[in-house]
Amino acid sequence: MDCHNCNRSCHHAGRKHRRRFGFFWQKARKEICEEKLLKIALVGSPNVGKSMLFNALTGAYVTVSNYPGTTVEVARGKTVIHGQEYEVIDTPGMYSLLPITEEEKVARDLLLEEKPDIVVHVVDAKNLGRMLTLTYQLIEAGLPVLLAINMMDEAEQLGLIIDREKIEKELGIPVVTMAAAQNAGINELKERVAEYVKK
Amino acid sequence: MLKNRIKYPEPIEKAIAEIEKLLTVEYKLSKRSVALLLLQKDEALLSEIAKKEPHYQEILKVIDETQKQFKEPLSFVIASARQEFALKVEKEALKEKGTEKASITEFLHRLTVNPITGIPIMFLILYFGIYKFVGVFGAGTLVDLIETYFENNINPVVNQVTAQVIPWKVLQDLIANDYGIITLGIRYAVAIVLPVVTLYFLMFSILEDSGYLPRLSLLIDRAFKVIGLSGRAVIPMVLGFGCDTMATMVTRTLETNRERIIATLLLALAIPCSAQLGVILGLLSNNPEALLIWAGVMILVFLLIGYLSSQLLPGKRAGFYMEIPPLRIPKLKNILTKTYVRMKWYFIEILPLFILASVLIWIGKLTGLFDLIIKGLEPVMLWLGLPPQAAQVFLFGFFRRDYGAAGMFDLYQNGILAGKQLVVAAVTLTLFIPCIAQFSMMLKERGTKVTLAITAFILPFAFFVGYLLNLLLTVLGVNF
Repeated sequence: MDCHNCNRSCHHAGRKHRRRFGFFWQKARKEICEEKLLKIALVGSPNVGKSMLFNALTGAYVTVSNYPGTTVEVARGKTVIHGQEYEVIDTPGMYSLLPITEEEKVARDLLLEEKPDIVVHVVDAKNLGRMLTLTYQLIEAGLPVLLAINMMDEAEQLGLIIDREKIEKELGIPVVTMAAAQNAGINELKERVAEYVKK
Repeated sequence: MLKNRIKYPEPIEKAIAEIEKLLTVEYKLSKRSVALLLLQKDEALLSEIAKKEPHYQEILKVIDETQKQFKEPLSFVIASARQEFALKVEKEALKEKGTEKASITEFLHRLTVNPITGIPIMFLILYFGIYKFVGVFGAGTLVDLIETYFENNINPVVNQVTAQVIPWKVLQDLIANDYGIITLGIRYAVAIVLPVVTLYFLMFSILEDSGYLPRLSLLIDRAFKVIGLSGRAVIPMVLGFGCDTMATMVTRTLETNRERIIATLLLALAIPCSAQLGVILGLLSNNPEALLIWAGVMILVFLLIGYLSSQLLPGKRAGFYMEIPPLRIPKLKNILTKTYVRMKWYFIEILPLFILASVLIWIGKLTGLFDLIIKGLEPVMLWLGLPPQAAQVFLFGFFRRDYGAAGMFDLYQNGILAGKQLVVAAVTLTLFIPCIAQFSMMLKERGTKVTLAITAFILPFAFFVGYLLNLLLTVLGVNF
């Protein structure tokens, strides 16, 4: 197992507990660490297809609906890319790093506590401009962000054409386009995730 | 400077640099990000640095000084700067060529949100989708079919077999006869609740995936404002018609604690869950007038209590802000999977409870406790103009909403409940206490104090409304 990554993901987590449990905690923590998975967190505003993507990646089933705010609890599952196991975390929707509702707070806390190895920001291709503000905030926060532009099929129906490379250049992070409902672009996303984490 | 970094207006960049210098502790976010969140007055972070940072006061001063240079709140200034950057990227990377398709969905969208066309559409969907499909077909035709099969083929066999295999009458009663695990618990679950809930979940999934529900929220937003809830609260309310327990959990998407309490109260009081709704629809569908009275009382109670609680609870009203997803043609596979998953989850959850209820009733009967409670409830039943047998229906209602409703269905088919009694019983049972699952979710989401207060209000209130309705119907001489 690649322990370099796992040190990184364990280092800051659980500081509060460590203080409380002292020596014991440190020891227990280390043991967990050795089996630690790489973590992929899916974030984005409500109703952009995070849960759909989660299902596509993990083969598990969480309820997917065309209704914002249906994921209020965190779902976890596993996926394998090139023989490497990853933990995938589906989060409730968030519009910005500055939380207004409780669900947004849950999503932010999760993002900060879990220290994911990669944060996949899922956005709706039809509302790119509005959603990129969160991408900027995630980059600002120093998180390892990958932008996944979802619902390309619907955007195409609306006659929207998106220049992926241009966005990649502007933002300086990897960008993939996909249509999770059609299962399109999932493999490319996996490739890019693996590439990103290796760096 | 990094290319992908947003450049904020000069005074803000200056403030960020100053705060970054004043921060001494390591955070989970970059210092730039922490500084920006502080400038936007993020409460969690402010209280965190108050404890950790030695230069807390200086940081606050920087924030104040910066704010003085702008007319708008800093959070607004920062958000606009970001928006500007994001729109610039979008403009550069996005080409648009308009097509026909967009205008058709736009037209449909307008139809559903405009009150003039939207309200008739809502009633059409309620009538055909819910009433005809779930009520008449599901709770009527299907339930009859399965019930009859159970009563003619399964119950007699079970009764006979247990009578032969088990010599003790006491144990026979646990499995068979009037309140047995198979003859009552499983029969209720499979024959009454299963068909109704399956059809309801199917319908609900279609509505959900088509994107109709958020438009419904938009449509009813105005009515909700009156009762102190924003349109956002429509989400848990609509979900409540699926399952109140799930909906109680979703109330955490509401913005203020005040809204969450009002929504939780209304869910516990006036929103029947799918199983209950289905059974009640089936029960009353032979009497359209009775159904109208039931629905009327529910709406009245909903509005009245909503209004009163919004007047009594302190706090400010929340604004409405919700993403409207596009209208889509639902995918059959997604709908079937969803219906199946919900069904499975539901069935796994209720079956043990129904069986447990049978066992509890058995124990209760054995110890005489059951009869004692029923004896205690009987005067209340008479007070409501209901037959004494209805007492056990209410007792069942404690276990699960639908269990009580299913019991009512049983009484109706045996001709014990009739006419206006049906309406009174349906109204009281709908208002009556939430099921165990919802109750525990309320405890989890709202805390013990609020939950107990809500329960203490609902119990007497439900019986009071039932009493009032019975009185009113008697005085007006209404019967069916």
